[in-house]
Amino acid sequence: MLYTIVLLPVLFLLVLPVLNIVVLTFFDSNLSESIASMSTDLFMLLLKSLAISGIVAFISTFIGIVLGFSLYKSDIKYRNVFRLLILIPLFISPYILAVAWKDISVLIFDIDTSLFKKTYSFIGMILVHSTIYSPLSILIIGSALSNISKQMEESALLIGGFKDMFFKILLPLIRPSIITSFVLILIFSISEFSVPAFLGIRVFTTEIFTQFSAFYNHNLAMLQSLLLIFICVFLLVSERKRISNSVFLSIGTRGKEVKLYSSRKIVIFSYIILSFTIVFTVFVPLSILVYQSFRTGTSKFMEALSLLLPTISDSTLLAILGSIISVFIGFVAAYYSEVLNKKLMNLMLLILFAIPSTIFGIALIKFYNNSILNFIYSSFGILIIGYVGKYSFISTKLIGNSIKQIPKSLEEAAVIQGIGFFKRIRKIIVPLVLPSIFASFIINFLFCFGDLGISIMVYPPGTEIMPIKVFTIMANAPESLTSSMALIVFLVTILLISLLFFIFKKIIAKYNVNY
Amino acid sequence: MNRTVLLFLLFIIMFAFSCEQNTNSIVVYTTVDQVFSEPVLKEFEKETGIKVKAVYDTEETKSTGILNRLIAEKDNPQCDVFWSGDPLRTAVLKNKNILYSYTSKAAEGIDMVFKDKDNYWTGFSARARVLIYNKDLLKDDDVPQSIFDLTDKKYKAKVAIANPLFGTTTFHFAALFSVIGDERAKLFLDSLKANDIVIASSNGDVKRRVVKGEVYCGLTDTDDANEAIKESANIGVVFLDQKGIGSLIMPNTVSLIKKAKVSDNAKKLFDYLLSEDTEIALAKSCAQMPLHKGVKLPKGVLSLDNIKPMNIDYNKTAGKLENIQGYLKAWVEDK
Amino acid sequence: MQSIMSIIKLKNISHWYSDNRVLDNLNLEIEKNKITYILGSSGSGKTTILRLIAGLEVPDKGEIYIQNIKVSETNKIIVTPDKRQLGYIFQDLALWPHLTVYENISFSLKNMNKSEIEGEVKGILSLFGLDDYLQKFPHQLSGGQQQMVAIARALALKPKILLMDEPLASLDVKSKRKILDYIVSIKEKYDLTIVYVTHDHREAFAIADNIVVINEGKIQESGTAEKIKNSTNDFVKYFIEW
Repeated sequence: MLYTIVLLPVLFLLVLPVLNIVVLTFFDSNLSESIASMSTDLFMLLLKSLAISGIVAFISTFIGIVLGFSLYKSDIKYRNVFRLLILIPLFISPYILAVAWKDISVLIFDIDTSLFKKTYSFIGMILVHSTIYSPLSILIIGSALSNISKQMEESALLIGGFKDMFFKILLPLIRPSIITSFVLILIFSISEFSVPAFLGIRVFTTEIFTQFSAFYNHNLAMLQSLLLIFICVFLLVSERKRISNSVFLSIGTRGKEVKLYSSRKIVIFSYIILSFTIVFTVFVPLSILVYQSFRTGTSKFMEALSLLLPTISDSTLLAILGSIISVFIGFVAAYYSEVLNKKLMNLMLLILFAIPSTIFGIALIKFYNNSILNFIYSSFGILIIGYVGKYSFISTKLIGNSIKQIPKSLEEAAVIQGIGFFKRIRKIIVPLVLPSIFASFIINFLFCFGDLGISIMVYPPGTEIMPIKVFTIMANAPESLTSSMALIVFLVTILLISLLFFIFKKIIAKYNVNY
Repeated sequence: MNRTVLLFLLFIIMFAFSCEQNTNSIVVYTTVDQVFSEPVLKEFEKETGIKVKAVYDTEETKSTGILNRLIAEKDNPQCDVFWSGDPLRTAVLKNKNILYSYTSKAAEGIDMVFKDKDNYWTGFSARARVLIYNKDLLKDDDVPQSIFDLTDKKYKAKVAIANPLFGTTTFHFAALFSVIGDERAKLFLDSLKANDIVIASSNGDVKRRVVKGEVYCGLTDTDDANEAIKESANIGVVFLDQKGIGSLIMPNTVSLIKKAKVSDNAKKLFDYLLSEDTEIALAKSCAQMPLHKGVKLPKGVLSLDNIKPMNIDYNKTAGKLENIQGYLKAWVEDK
Repeated sequence: MQSIMSIIKLKNISHWYSDNRVLDNLNLEIEKNKITYILGSSGSGKTTILRLIAGLEVPDKGEIYIQNIKVSETNKIIVTPDKRQLGYIFQDLALWPHLTVYENISFSLKNMNKSEIEGEVKGILSLFGLDDYLQKFPHQLSGGQQQMVAIARALALKPKILLMDEPLASLDVKSKRKILDYIVSIKEKYDLTIVYVTHDHREAFAIADNIVVINEGKIQESGTAEKIKNSTNDFVKYFIEW
């Protein structure tokens, strides 16, 4: 019943607009012309994009394993502070990071030959994307690592050394989350647009954008997006297959103890690698922003503050509402898919996730912009629908992996004891997956709060959303103002995230999740 | 506890679907940078009491987010007035049958060159395409004076332009094609490419690269040039080809969107944007050149009278754009 | 077997997991107020029998009766698990890790006020000698204590039947013996029918009233310990040899 109640709005509010636009595309009179124009060149481009994003996903996942281990398995102090700091690149705008990275590298290397410039742009894109998406991988892999029961590692340590345990036990045990991390980041990277556009690299998304923005050829853009969606669905379906074949570790019903490694070597290594990462991904960009903001005094910073202050409350509320709904839908989809094997909603959310923002925006306009649905289209509701459609899948994924780890017997025991469905969900399943519910809430919040792609297409006239304001002002503003705004967004986000962490800590303590 | 949570949820849901139903309001979409367009719209609000709900564009999707939105919204337009930074994209809307033909009294003082022949758009305050250069890197004698100088070997890999598929650079190239003819224009572009011209992501990015000294010089708009001068003392500005084909002049344009009923308020804003006051305001804030004859200019703002303009027909140039866009795409991608 | 006294009856039950037939046209009756042991090696289908009785699996073929009421039939659950008046001890115990001992037991008590619940829970726990562990979490208890909590939880709803899926496998001999003694005593006290699944025939010989030996989804032999010990069935002889 719950499934139907959630599935229907997902179908009618989110999926139908996309179906609508797909149908419109296929009934367009220029269809054959559009198909004809998709030459082999386009497929080469797709391969190229896949290759670049594959490298990004590989690097990010590697970083995720190393840092995930350092963060979740080594006996370090101030773990929570590190955990928060390491998340930061997720909410620096990719564009700003790309600019900062370029500024630094131009200072360090003086590049001249065009060949070098070309490779150098590629390295730039890979570097920036890896920086942004690694935290996602750390989060996914870290939470898997902290679910491994102590005994497994200890028994392995008795037989072989640390190295054997790490490669032969730990890595195989977290294989599902390694695959998830790789695939998710591959999809994120292949659909990101602003970094390759800034660095002048031609990839599949910039091609779609060109069709849209230079040729206003919505149909061709749509067809090309379908190709992208197809690839993403293929990737995620094959991921599912691999995951379902592998052994899943369980939370364990006799309590959970996380093995923490306190050997000097590991702890020192962890401190070094974590500090290095934080300096590189947080302090360097932050210092550049601070320097650029205040180089000419505080006036530009104050100006930026007065520009952005009025947008903060609306943006925050929208992002909170968007992520609450996303987490709710994500949970329902995940539960039904993992426990009851109903996968329809999962697949739909996946497809929505894989659609480029601009296309999704157009789909929403075509569907909601009429006299009947105008009350949604002309209100913040359209933004929420956009956020929920685009980002719910992240919740499904994270919560789903976590639900998979709950032994079936825990729920069955409750069934036999006569505990009703909703009480089972509320008192058993939800508390057990609470950490991943929070993790996905935070990630969803960050994506909603920083969303530009959908917002720019559908934000109601006369309203002000923070990322849009930042980018519309940025166009012609002096560097000091631009940097100040980036800095403010950065500070506000940190503040909100800390606040959320604080609230979650209280809730977790209340629910005794740290069993 | 549960009740507070429910109340909170209820509150934000109401917040989400609350929309201000103000009948005395109009919706404006503008591709003009928010820093410059917002004060003008605010001033209009103050003078008339009509609430202006604006949608601004961003650099990332410069002039394209809004245009795509207008195209997608065609069947049920939300927008009343479209204020564009250049006439070229307005022409796209005209071809897609989205605009409403309107003749304003306020436009009487503006030269026919800057108006659509069917009155689907009217031009006002103009920008020009200019070259900005870094004074630390280029001596006075070395500063290019013609766009054709940019193919000179001494500027190899040291000249930046924005991606010609987007923004005003498209306009610039389309104008060039109409003035010197396709064949010569293609030859010129090929030699630019041979000279390793740097393609930046936007005009703002061109400005940034010149200010930082990554390149000697670059093509951009007067408003970006104006900002560059404010930011750095080392920036010089040149109007190219004053002895030859002239500089491209790009007026802002304003249009009404075709709807069941075009509101009087929309016409009021239309007239307001075409007024001399608006031109003066834009001259002050971003050095745009008024199109009304005899407007008193603030200090430092050039008058159209002092510049030799590129001689083009804006309607025809818009048509040109569609012909050359495929070529431009190939040109960019071949880089 | 005297079918008049049987409380659970499985008729012509067949069951598959994907392509694997785990139960093959099985007929089984469980005597009331007795301890019945189902003996078999892993993969013999013995856990599946318990899950079918509990209503956690839908039989692919056949019928199941509890107290002469049809509770399941081919591809259909007629009486849901919570209405079958049974308790289930899972192999992994399935104690809810985020709830205290007290909460684990009080969780399923309904239609009572707070003080009644408290009295009920404390009563059960003292019976199992767990008075001092009310506020502890499962992982803070020893294996034997966790065992007791699981049994106490199952008995809180006063079931007629207790299904036990090899819950003692990980315990030492002494604790095992202690819990087995408990099981016998609670059976008397609560008037229970117990169905106990294990691969350990010594445990079965020690306390079972009836024993059913099962292999590859088929019953090989059933009856008292004496009968099993003297069985001529090859599998049974092999199974209890060591």
